[in-house]
Amino acid sequence: MKTVEQRLEEHLITEKPYYLASGKEIEIALSAHKNGLPLLLKGPTGCGKTRFMQFLAWKLQRPLITVSCHDDLSTSDLVGRFLIRSGEAVWTDGPLTLAVRAGAICYLDEIVEARKDTTVVIHPLADDRRELPIEKLGELLSAPPEFMICVSYNPGYQSVLKDLKPSTRQRFVAISFNYPAPELEAEIVCRESGVSKKLASSLVKLAGMTRSLKESGLAEGASTRLLIQTGLLVEDGIDIHTACRTALIEPLSDDPELLAALEEMVSSIF
Amino acid sequence: MKLALLTERFYDLVAPDIPNEWDVEEVLDPLVDEPDSVCEAILGHIPVIWPVSHSLCFDFLRLLPETLQHLQLEQIPRWIGITLDHYETDGLRTAQRFMQDDIQNYLLKLAGSGGLTLSSVEKKLLPYIRGVAERDLNISPARQIYTDTSSIYMPEELNFFSNNKDNFLLYKLTLTFQWGFINRGSFINRPPVNLIQPQKDDDSNWLSSFIESFDEPLLARDIYHSLESIRVRFFLEQDLPGLIRAAKKQIFPSLSVRNTHHPLNRLQHVLIAEDNVLHKQLGAFIGESNAENYLLGYASAYDSVTLTTALYKKLTKDLTDYIPIEPYPFQGVLKLQAVATARNIREQKMGEQFTDLMAAHLLSLSKDELKDIFQEDKRDSANRGLAESDITMIMDSEFAQTADMEKEAPLLVTINNEEVEMPEELESFSKNFLDEFGHLPVQFLSAAAGKAGQEMLEHAVSGINEAMPVITDTLLYDEWDYRRQGYRKNWCSLHLKELKPIRSSFIQNTLKTYHGLTTRLRHQFEMMRNQERFVKRQREGDDIDFDALVESISDSRAGIASSDRLFIRLKRDNRDIAVLFLVDMSNSTAGWVNNALKESLVLMAEAMEVLGDRYGIYGFSGMRRSRCELFHVKHLTEPYGDAVKERIGSIAPSEYTRMGPPIRHATELLKDVDAKVRIIITLTDGKPEDYDDYKGEYAIEDTRHALLEAKTADIHPFCITIDHQARDYMQHMYGPANYIFIDNVRKLPLRIPEIYRVLTS
Repeated sequence: MKTVEQRLEEHLITEKPYYLASGKEIEIALSAHKNGLPLLLKGPTGCGKTRFMQFLAWKLQRPLITVSCHDDLSTSDLVGRFLIRSGEAVWTDGPLTLAVRAGAICYLDEIVEARKDTTVVIHPLADDRRELPIEKLGELLSAPPEFMICVSYNPGYQSVLKDLKPSTRQRFVAISFNYPAPELEAEIVCRESGVSKKLASSLVKLAGMTRSLKESGLAEGASTRLLIQTGLLVEDGIDIHTACRTALIEPLSDDPELLAALEEMVSSIF
Repeated sequence: MKLALLTERFYDLVAPDIPNEWDVEEVLDPLVDEPDSVCEAILGHIPVIWPVSHSLCFDFLRLLPETLQHLQLEQIPRWIGITLDHYETDGLRTAQRFMQDDIQNYLLKLAGSGGLTLSSVEKKLLPYIRGVAERDLNISPARQIYTDTSSIYMPEELNFFSNNKDNFLLYKLTLTFQWGFINRGSFINRPPVNLIQPQKDDDSNWLSSFIESFDEPLLARDIYHSLESIRVRFFLEQDLPGLIRAAKKQIFPSLSVRNTHHPLNRLQHVLIAEDNVLHKQLGAFIGESNAENYLLGYASAYDSVTLTTALYKKLTKDLTDYIPIEPYPFQGVLKLQAVATARNIREQKMGEQFTDLMAAHLLSLSKDELKDIFQEDKRDSANRGLAESDITMIMDSEFAQTADMEKEAPLLVTINNEEVEMPEELESFSKNFLDEFGHLPVQFLSAAAGKAGQEMLEHAVSGINEAMPVITDTLLYDEWDYRRQGYRKNWCSLHLKELKPIRSSFIQNTLKTYHGLTTRLRHQFEMMRNQERFVKRQREGDDIDFDALVESISDSRAGIASSDRLFIRLKRDNRDIAVLFLVDMSNSTAGWVNNALKESLVLMAEAMEVLGDRYGIYGFSGMRRSRCELFHVKHLTEPYGDAVKERIGSIAPSEYTRMGPPIRHATELLKDVDAKVRIIITLTDGKPEDYDDYKGEYAIEDTRHALLEAKTADIHPFCITIDHQARDYMQHMYGPANYIFIDNVRKLPLRIPEIYRVLTS
């Protein structure tokens, strides 16, 4: 059983993560942290939200504790629960409590996936109270100034049922993430995968085409992440057509006509 | 088979029609020599064709001897299906021509060669071009190849090459090339800045006027077209190298070197020339440095304009009459009038969008700001509509210095000398508009101001009852013809209509009458809602079951093996249901039936509100396939308010019962809904039947097929009927377990909620 210190150390980021800023997001995040404000990151998948958080945590030199939210996430999963060890009931902190105690950054990824009754547990932390009540222990935990709570979600494919309540939304400073400008995106792909700038630019052009297909049935176009994947395969010796097909096109859709159209785009560019 | 027997069989099949005996014997005569099995097969096709067209049937029989030389017996049904498709879309002549002349082509198509049709490649190429262009272009069939900047027109069939892979590449190249013209700005609509020309009022067709200004406009047009095609080709080579590489390999070599007698042919040839010669070839026409610019992509359409003037002078020196050269297939033709028309339509549409956005924005401003703008003390000005001089939209002059900064420059709007700030969305929309059309007609601005002013006035006066639109939309749906085992394409027109809500006491009365039942229903349905309950003594869970824990400790103290089921889990039964009610509004429901139906709907709705399931209600009726009607009572996502209640009250018996289109429409609506369980419940009083030939087995089969389509889409159809003879056909249409027969109309209101409860738990 790891000690708290050991658990926290795992979450500390020691090496500077590569992150290329698109706008003023870093300044805004630092300012929010200084003022004890929580952060809401919104944007499509694979455009840098998690990488941004890693960069922020490194910059602030605080451990980053990430929770991937899902439908079955309960309050106990976040706050903590009693576990039975050798016949005794022992309290174990959940990731949220751990972060609060240690003044770390807690990052709730895809927060709309969690049930609304679970989400409200973060409300007292997300306003000027900055406290976490733990009923089972009868404790009211006050967050140190270094603590920060951040959440992310993808507004692109929300259904009416899965949405952030206004009472939740309005506690956050929100930063919108989007695919970077083409030159920046090409540089990111180039840097992360090792392909030439020219190839990276062509991949970015291909991604741009896929992002215009909402009306034709493709909910979300290729993300930067997919481009990096493709680039990595190419660097490893896979031919460009196969790399595009497996790492870029097939993950996007199962519709045969759409897949065919995407293939035509690839064969036009490469 | 003997002629007499053939004739007898024929008359049996076409009864009650009695065609002329001479005609019948004449067409059946060739069959006499055929073996019986062949005759039987042929006779089997007659009931499929005869109801559609008598002439076509006779033609079919007449052409049989020839047909049988080309087609096998098994291939005939499909061939008939296509013939009937042609008949239904294009008429008798086309169908006859297909049967008579096109059989060779048909066979080639079957074999996979001999021409590619646009419809077969469209599904792939449409998303392709929309992605490449990053805008919503359309593809439409036409004899000539061209684009009007909204759509790209290509021939319905391409058989330039003998194998279809190359034909496909030609389609793709043509499509992309036409997009290239749009993207590179070949369709200039503004005169070049430095050209000293008298200012025309309508500059949108500047290119047309430029071309018309020459003595030989066709020559000027073709020079410009060639130059722009070259520019586009070089652009595509940079932007989509894969495509041009494939074209160089598979397409360009096959394009014939035209008769180079005409010098313009040599210019045009640059398009498909080999890499090592095209620079020189192009330079010979437009000079070395210009050729360089074109190759590297630095040239613009205006350069082509200048060069057109120069080349025209050169070329008319030697030639007298100009016979237009033939463009390469992918080049297409320039149709500037079509471009202007399409542009105007788009401008109107975007203008209206802008007006709406602007009006909405104006309305969102605070009362004080609005007051200043409209100077409310002088109420007439809002009524009159603002004069164009009162409204200006200018770019902040500081920023408009350079072309780059122009993109960043904020747009300022002033109305009546008051500055109105524009939200980001509106600003970017305006900039896009300006980019495309060069100017934002002030009429859209003033329309917006006028609209906002108008709505403000209307708010001041209390709620005006807006007139309900009658037909909101018309959709086409296929119909299944069981005789030929194929669809009749776009056979039915379904009009989506609104019911005029009637303020009546119907709802209140119903609720009063069934007060007790309603309360009971509510209670029952409340129990059906999302149930969350804790399940104790689980091996894993959210919390500790302390009772179990205490027991286990005592157990181990006592020396007995203790249980490891020590946790409590939260179990959720999620109801995730979407249901559409389709209510038969045919004539036969008049009287008690209609009343009972409406009462059931009211009770059902009240119960559904408690339950929280998503539900929609539509009535259907109509007459003939050209006027099927679907009446909107409640959309799936619409809240159950007074409007819905009034519409339920206004459901009245209408006309006939063509069930196919409403079911297919309901399937389409539910396809987009994200729910674990999706249901269509039809409330009807009898068999499907319409005024035309939609009756009997045909109608039942079509309805059944529509229901199968729903099932394929993972939607469960269910039927509640009061027809006494339901058992005969319902089982066949819906399946044995999916319908329920209620023998007494008056029991409807009681039974329907119960049925729903059983269906969904």
